[in-house]
Amino acid sequence: MSKTSPSQSNIHHSARVAPDATVGPFCVIGPDVTIGPGSVLGRRVTVTGNTTIGSGNVIGDGCVLGAAPQDLKYRGADSLLVIGHNNRIGRNVTIHIGTEPGGYVTRIGDDNTLLEGVHVAHDCFVDNGVHLGRVVQLAGHILVRDGAVMEDMSGAHHFVTIGRYARIGPRTPVRRDVPPFTNFFTEDYGWTAPSVRGVHEAGVASAGLKRDEELELRRALSELFEDESALQTKIEQLENMGVEGEAAALCEFCQQSLAGKFGRHRESFRGQVPPEAIAILSPEKLAAIQRNKK
Amino acid sequence: MAKANISPHSIVEKGAKLARDVVVGPFCYIGSGVKIGKGCVIENNVTIVGKTTLGELNHIYPMAVIGATLDGDETQGVCHLGSANNLREHATIYAGSAKQPTRVGNDNLVMIACQVGPATQVGDHCIFANCTHIAEEAIIEDYVRTSAFSFVDRSVRLGAYTFTAGYVQVDHDAPPFAMIQGSPYRVRGVNSHNLKQCGFGEEDIRSLKRAFRELFNGSGEMKTDALEQLASDGQANQYVKTLVKYLQACKPGEGNDV
Repeated sequence: MSKTSPSQSNIHHSARVAPDATVGPFCVIGPDVTIGPGSVLGRRVTVTGNTTIGSGNVIGDGCVLGAAPQDLKYRGADSLLVIGHNNRIGRNVTIHIGTEPGGYVTRIGDDNTLLEGVHVAHDCFVDNGVHLGRVVQLAGHILVRDGAVMEDMSGAHHFVTIGRYARIGPRTPVRRDVPPFTNFFTEDYGWTAPSVRGVHEAGVASAGLKRDEELELRRALSELFEDESALQTKIEQLENMGVEGEAAALCEFCQQSLAGKFGRHRESFRGQVPPEAIAILSPEKLAAIQRNKK
Repeated sequence: MAKANISPHSIVEKGAKLARDVVVGPFCYIGSGVKIGKGCVIENNVTIVGKTTLGELNHIYPMAVIGATLDGDETQGVCHLGSANNLREHATIYAGSAKQPTRVGNDNLVMIACQVGPATQVGDHCIFANCTHIAEEAIIEDYVRTSAFSFVDRSVRLGAYTFTAGYVQVDHDAPPFAMIQGSPYRVRGVNSHNLKQCGFGEEDIRSLKRAFRELFNGSGEMKTDALEQLASDGQANQYVKTLVKYLQACKPGEGNDV
């Protein structure tokens, strides 16, 4: 029997809660929920929908995980929310399940920190080691890559990609893709659009790059974002020089963003199952999604 | 009052009037002055207090609070919610007074962590995105769309069909049909996407665009002489007339904060 407050919480009899998971008082756990070993749920946590929570997660008071998306294209599919292992999820965090036309699954990876009031919407993919500050709001279909940092009260538009180890400044509206290892913020909070402002030093340090690779990345970053004019030409120049490793990945990222509508690469996945979801879903499920689309 | 569709874990105070088919999830608290109409679904951990009435077919998600008060007796607050509203997780609707109740119309979607202040009037078919904060005594007209982190100051009026960009601060009255951005806000243009969705004709949108260009011309500050010119145009489009009438009444840009 799991360490719960049985009389004070409402766990559906078909929910699969690991024996050593802890469920606090006034929690409500729905029928299709799986909670892995060692996970700790605080007080008043609601877990509904088709939600899988891995092991070693700490989930704060008042969280609502796996509720229906706030999207008009959601028509009541039994879509998924998958949360990995060892995540720290603060109080009043809300994470929604996926929508069927958008890829069916919302996924949070491992070792992420989500502080108070964070919202992760339908069909988002948050990779590993990501830090989301207080009240960060992610709209639908967003991809946040490994080690990215979003500071307090920043928010991202739907279909945005946030590159590896990038940093979004506090109170920054993100309306286009943010390249990896960059600092992205605005100074006047509103009228002018935020832009890339230098290298995210802490990100470069924690990525554990080899010295040569780091130097090449720094050179590429300074060349591309000294000023953001003629980005396309500069990328082509770098690619012709034959850059490798992280610098090459940076060039590819910028290339894809430039090709996407409004500077958002993932706009091209609108109404499709994105590759991250294809990697998770079973072939039968994917076939069923395609069938339902017709 | 033991009913099959009301969780035994919830507290429904004596005197609360719930329609027969209302579903109440576990750990809710429903105060004695509350009336809830047919077909409403109240999920878990919801608090509804004060003299609050809910129409039909409302869906209230976990952790939402209706009829909250900042001070005073929470049983005396008055709050009227129409029908077919969706109130998402952690949304809060504050109660007004008996003289000035909070009113929310029909078919609104109030997303996560939104706050609707005391004595606020909300129209119909509005969508408030996450963390939209509406201060007290504000008036939100029909078909308004707000983006995340929109802040509407007290006693401000937000015109019908207006769209607010993220992180906007509406510190004085905002015109109808507009797209507004920034802090403090500036008018960026006509919210043509929303107007198209709401079935406006091409010609209507074009005349509104022309009027907005004359009135604001990208700077966001309204030109008074352009307004006078538009007002004297007898053959103006009906929506332009509505816009002119609205602007004459509230003069956005000069601030009418009480």
